[in-house]
Amino acid sequence: MSGNKPLSRFHQPVSVPGRRLLHGVRLKFVQKKIVGGGGRAVNTEIPLIPFIDFLLCIVLFLLASFSASGELPIDKNVKLPSAQNAVEMLEAPMIAISGTQILVDGIPAGSTRAVIDAQKMQKIDELDAILKNKRELWKQLKPGVEFPGNVILQVDRRVPALVVKSVFMTAAAAGYPAVSFMVGKLAKD
Amino acid sequence: MAGIDVGGHGKRSSNHEIPLIPFIDFLLCLVMFLLVTAVWSHMARIEADARVPGPPKDTEQDKIEKEKELHVEMRGERSFQLIWKEGTTVVNETSVPRKEVKVGEDITFPDLSKKIKEEWTSQGSHRAATDKKFDRAILHTDNSVEFGSVIAVLDSIYAPEREFSIGTGAVEKVPSFQVTFASD
Repeated sequence: MSGNKPLSRFHQPVSVPGRRLLHGVRLKFVQKKIVGGGGRAVNTEIPLIPFIDFLLCIVLFLLASFSASGELPIDKNVKLPSAQNAVEMLEAPMIAISGTQILVDGIPAGSTRAVIDAQKMQKIDELDAILKNKRELWKQLKPGVEFPGNVILQVDRRVPALVVKSVFMTAAAAGYPAVSFMVGKLAKD
Repeated sequence: MAGIDVGGHGKRSSNHEIPLIPFIDFLLCLVMFLLVTAVWSHMARIEADARVPGPPKDTEQDKIEKEKELHVEMRGERSFQLIWKEGTTVVNETSVPRKEVKVGEDITFPDLSKKIKEEWTSQGSHRAATDKKFDRAILHTDNSVEFGSVIAVLDSIYAPEREFSIGTGAVEKVPSFQVTFASD
């Protein structure tokens, strides 16, 4: 830059402050607004108490749904398939069939490997005994009520059909003709 | 801040303030934890009627009327066979190419669903809403087939729906077929 040329105001880093915006206006209500002395206060407080109430409601709702979702005990070794035309779940004994074992409500009731090795459809004796016991217990607890005969199978998607058919046949023979397969829900097309 | 004034003018002040900000932080953490750990599972079930291979009872077998039944054969690697049988007599037979569609880790057979819907529309016996009986489908599978494929075929069999009267004039949509497994 040359020394003769006057500096424009944009080149000056510090300048004397000029008049403030609206301070020159002599109307009182405008000045009140500027300094926050108007009808409505500029500073507002966050309403903490309703906010805490709201959070507590969310916590209670989540706790309630948390316990409800935990009511379906799904075996960790079982990866369920999904289906579009499935219906609502019902309360019934659960038979979990993984790649290695068969469980009735968490109690071991046979080996998957043994059924595969046999290479034919067969009745699984342990499963049959447990299911019959459950049926007798139910009848003792609810005398005079017709036994619904529902059972739900949680079957891993890689388990061969031979095992599924064997369990299906065993359940039917033990007095549980209404067999259902637990699945994930797929959206319909 | 919220405070509790209980009076008292001794050496130590009896007035305490509830620390609202840490309390809100705690609640927010709790909400986050519950949201992350919540299991948003939507489990459902697919029914299977079990007039299954049980011990043979001659007296009951005599009572069963011979009705048309849909036999779904999933033994072939390239196609499904849909066979309508009345007793041992074959009424109609069609073949559907085995085209599976992957949905995530699952598979579906949309062509089979479509064909079964068409078959039920043309051949189904129990279609009236007041009819308490259902058409029966029998699934024939190889022993080595994975359960994931079996469920996909069961899902296709349940695709056709019919109206069903549940009394008091109300009608609801239910699957047209009752399904069971073949004993072979």
